[in-house]
Amino acid sequence: MSEIEIESRNLDLWYGSAQALKNITMAMPEKKVTAIIGPSGCGKSTFLRCINRMNDLVKDCRITGELLFEGTDVYGNSVDAVELRKKIGMVFQKPNPFPMSIYDNVAYGPRVHGLRNREELDRIVEESLKASALWNEVGDIPDRSAIDLSGGQQQRLCIARTLAVKPKVILFDEPCSALDPISTAKIEDLINTLKHDYTIVIVTHNMQQAARVSDHTAFFLLGELIEFGKTKQIFELPEKKSTEDYITGRFG
Amino acid sequence: MKTSERIIEILLFLSAATAVMIVALIIIFLVKEGLSVLVKVGIIDFCLGMKWNPIAIAGEPSYGIFPMIVASFYVAIGSLIIAVPLGLACAVFLAEIAPSWARSILKHAIELLVGIPSVILGFVGLVLLVPFIRDHLGGWGFSILAGSIILAIMALPRIISISDDAIRSVPREYKEASLALGATHWHTIRKVILPSARSGIVAAVILAMATSIGETMAVLMVVGNTPLLPAPIYDILDPVRPMTSNIVLEMSYATGDHASALFATGIVLFVVVALLNVISHKALKSRMGTRR
Ligand SMILES: Nc1ncnc2c1ncn2[C@@H]1O[C@H](COP(=O)(O)OP(=O)(O)OP(=O)(O)O)[C@@H](O)[C@H]1O
Ligand SMILES: [Mg+2]
Repeated sequence: MSEIEIESRNLDLWYGSAQALKNITMAMPEKKVTAIIGPSGCGKSTFLRCINRMNDLVKDCRITGELLFEGTDVYGNSVDAVELRKKIGMVFQKPNPFPMSIYDNVAYGPRVHGLRNREELDRIVEESLKASALWNEVGDIPDRSAIDLSGGQQQRLCIARTLAVKPKVILFDEPCSALDPISTAKIEDLINTLKHDYTIVIVTHNMQQAARVSDHTAFFLLGELIEFGKTKQIFELPEKKSTEDYITGRFG
Repeated sequence: MKTSERIIEILLFLSAATAVMIVALIIIFLVKEGLSVLVKVGIIDFCLGMKWNPIAIAGEPSYGIFPMIVASFYVAIGSLIIAVPLGLACAVFLAEIAPSWARSILKHAIELLVGIPSVILGFVGLVLLVPFIRDHLGGWGFSILAGSIILAIMALPRIISISDDAIRSVPREYKEASLALGATHWHTIRKVILPSARSGIVAAVILAMATSIGETMAVLMVVGNTPLLPAPIYDILDPVRPMTSNIVLEMSYATGDHASALFATGIVLFVVVALLNVISHKALKSRMGTRR
């Protein structure tokens, strides 16, 4: 059993007066893939965005309970959200490369954190593009605008951009929902490689995807965590009736 | 049913045609009135002539508006130098930082600023600004500086509101991506949000310049109106006479060639402002282009 990297304890979240997360308690182990599944609007993205504090951007979003990263509460007074996000990267549902060159996209993070040395930047860009399986396609056109890439390439660029910051955790929010099957397969392969080095939490609507890439699976429903366990167990022997219904496609 | 739709279409077409026709009529009128002097003096000599002496007591009158063209640009660019940094800072604050209550207060204040008639601004300039400059910076007080400051106040609301729009229409995904990489809010504003809003901001600035060049009343009251180049050329405390002031000041008593020369000044003004408007629209278009 590997170490616990992220753990939420009795986490509640309100948007204004509407409660979006209810008493979520779960632990995500280091260098494993944890999938979050559940019907639309059940709070998957909300939970994911708690981990790197992206919900800080939302006005009147209120959080109680604890969310521990490496043993410290990320909502504690001493934690700087900016520092936290260097360690917890995020890939979004819609590919969102900056309207800059491929190179500048990947170098953005390292530059943010003060790296100016051109050789060092070159090395990180190459490394990140290789790690995101994009180097063969764009290695010779780093100055091309990222906007001109295909959707799948853009998403892998976004992954490269995240890797360049050298995070410990990568959060994926439905990374393949805007992509074709081939691009999706590439990203899944990528996630399978990345999990050797990173802790991964992935939100997905695609049951097969959750089954293929994850070690653990959490099933959310209406803001509550219904069931959490080994992926194999959740898919083959769900304890709760609603989990089984969802997985077999009877609702959601 | 069919005929009523037909009638509505015709009415819509007529109102659109009226707008175009009014513009066309104004141009035709301007050219008709101004052309005789342009032909007599020559466009080049008219635009680049240094001497404006329309009512010569002895000898030939001369019609050169170069000092006034310079004055128009001088005052307008001066106003931008003041208004752009201020306006941009204000827009960034509005769009990115201000809590909603501060935003609504500021928005209302800015609307109020737009509503001030320019003659009142000119009056305030005349009573407060001109003496202040005379007492603290020297010169006569009536000056390029005074005109620029008054124009900056007038340009500010436009620059703020267009830049605010441009900043707010930057896709939220860019901002989230930057923050998720561990960039600070300020870094995100500088490196992602402002560059993405750049063409909208450029359009705002050029439009503000066009409006400043065309502004009349407030400027007239504070720039001093001497039809000469400032001497030395960089002396912003010198009085000048922009093209707009030239027309207003002499329109009431001008006749013959003199009147025609004022219309010709109007033509030059019209062309400059129209060109700036076209450039501004181009800038806005290119933004749409890059955004797919
Ligand atoms: N910024 C916000 N302000 C207010 N309410 C929000 C906000 N974001 C999400 N919500 C609400 O919180 C609930 C959970 O939303 P969330 O985006 O987490 O769902 P989700 O499980 O990710 O859904 P999907 O699968 O469609 O992405 C929804 O009812 C949603 O309307
Ligand atoms: Mg979601």
